[in-house]
Amino acid sequence: MKPAEVLPTDEQVMEAVKNGDLPQAAVLFERYHQRIFNFLVRMTMDRDMAEDLTQNVFLRMIKYRGSYREGNKFMPWIYQLARNIFSDHYQANKNKKGLLNIEKMGDTMVESEESKWQDEREELLQRSMARLDEEQRELLVLTRFQHLKYEEVAVMLDTTVANIKVKVHRAIGKLREHYFELEKSN
Amino acid sequence: MKTEKLEGLLIDYIDGKLSEEERIIVEKEIAENESAALLYDQLKQLMSNIDRTSTLEPTSTLKSNFEKSLQQEILNSNQGRQIFFQPMVLRIAAGFVFLIASVVILFWVNKNYEQQREIARLREEMDSTKRIMMAMMTNPQSASQRMLGVAASYQIEQPDDEIVNALLKTMDEDPNTNVRLAALEALSKFHQQAHVRTALISSLAKQKDPVVQISLIRLMIEMKEKSVIQELDRITRDKESIKAVKDEAYSGLLKLS
Repeated sequence: MKPAEVLPTDEQVMEAVKNGDLPQAAVLFERYHQRIFNFLVRMTMDRDMAEDLTQNVFLRMIKYRGSYREGNKFMPWIYQLARNIFSDHYQANKNKKGLLNIEKMGDTMVESEESKWQDEREELLQRSMARLDEEQRELLVLTRFQHLKYEEVAVMLDTTVANIKVKVHRAIGKLREHYFELEKSN
Repeated sequence: MKTEKLEGLLIDYIDGKLSEEERIIVEKEIAENESAALLYDQLKQLMSNIDRTSTLEPTSTLKSNFEKSLQQEILNSNQGRQIFFQPMVLRIAAGFVFLIASVVILFWVNKNYEQQREIARLREEMDSTKRIMMAMMTNPQSASQRMLGVAASYQIEQPDDEIVNALLKTMDEDPNTNVRLAALEALSKFHQQAHVRTALISSLAKQKDPVVQISLIRLMIEMKEKSVIQELDRITRDKESIKAVKDEAYSGLLKLS
């Protein structure tokens, strides 16, 4: 019997990419593009925009492969790239439109994507999410939607697990308020 | 219990992360406190909705765009790699290879140069020896100098025409018998060479010195040179030739016929 093939870890693949084996970047794209896309959809509330930004994340991964430090975990690093790209996008839009009204943006985006967010409950959830501030929304996307561990998010945000836990609890509390407020007004 | 603290405990309760002791307190609170029960229901519903959210699929454009960009990056990277090796280890290895190649080439060039210089030096030395030798052989004042000049020609492996002619001239014309004999001896060393052999044969007819004549006849016998038979026959009949020379010529005729 053939022994089971051991797949290289994300870190091994990324090290290969860093050392010039660029075709290996396709492996990381396969493993992570859906997760990063979902993170960015929930952050931007815009599927098309999220696709563009996801593309940018992986291009940046290749271009800045030299900045990946061998021995470090790959996942927090790729999420950090995605967060930076979202932040750049957010800042650029903020500069263009003046003050960005997240709540309004969220509402309009959800409405325009109505056919795609078919489930009524899910739509309500997205509208509630859009009312949260960026930090709380990001924390909930990472820990509740993407199921990252508090420890992983703590590393990514360079803070303690206890701090993350408190902030996540507050964000859930806030989301609950928005959710049932919106439900009542429907 | 404060709402924030209760909310935190309820979330952990739903997540199943409470200790046994905390779980009992929370369950008691839910059972006894109506607002805690409502909060629990709402959080449970909300968190369940979050868990049930669907994972969204990007369009195929994302993948095809990424693949195109990746190909472009690979192309750019390969162009760059003609000059720079990406991994440090390859760069170091390339450096070593370059260094070793440079040393080998330098060594080879230097060696070649040294060989060229050595050849030039030997040639110069030979030319110098030849010049000295010729000068000695043509010294009209001193027979011993001429003798030394002839002796010096022994050291030459491949004499050129100039040396052979000088030796022949000495053998035929030098006023001193010993010098003439020495010149003959030197020439006999090179008798395998066609032009020396021809010169020796033609010299036999010109020789007047009996000592040289005898030596030359002996050399012809040794060389098994049958073309001199006619000349030997003439010597046997020559009135001017002394008996010893004639005897040697008879001996030659006997051995070569």
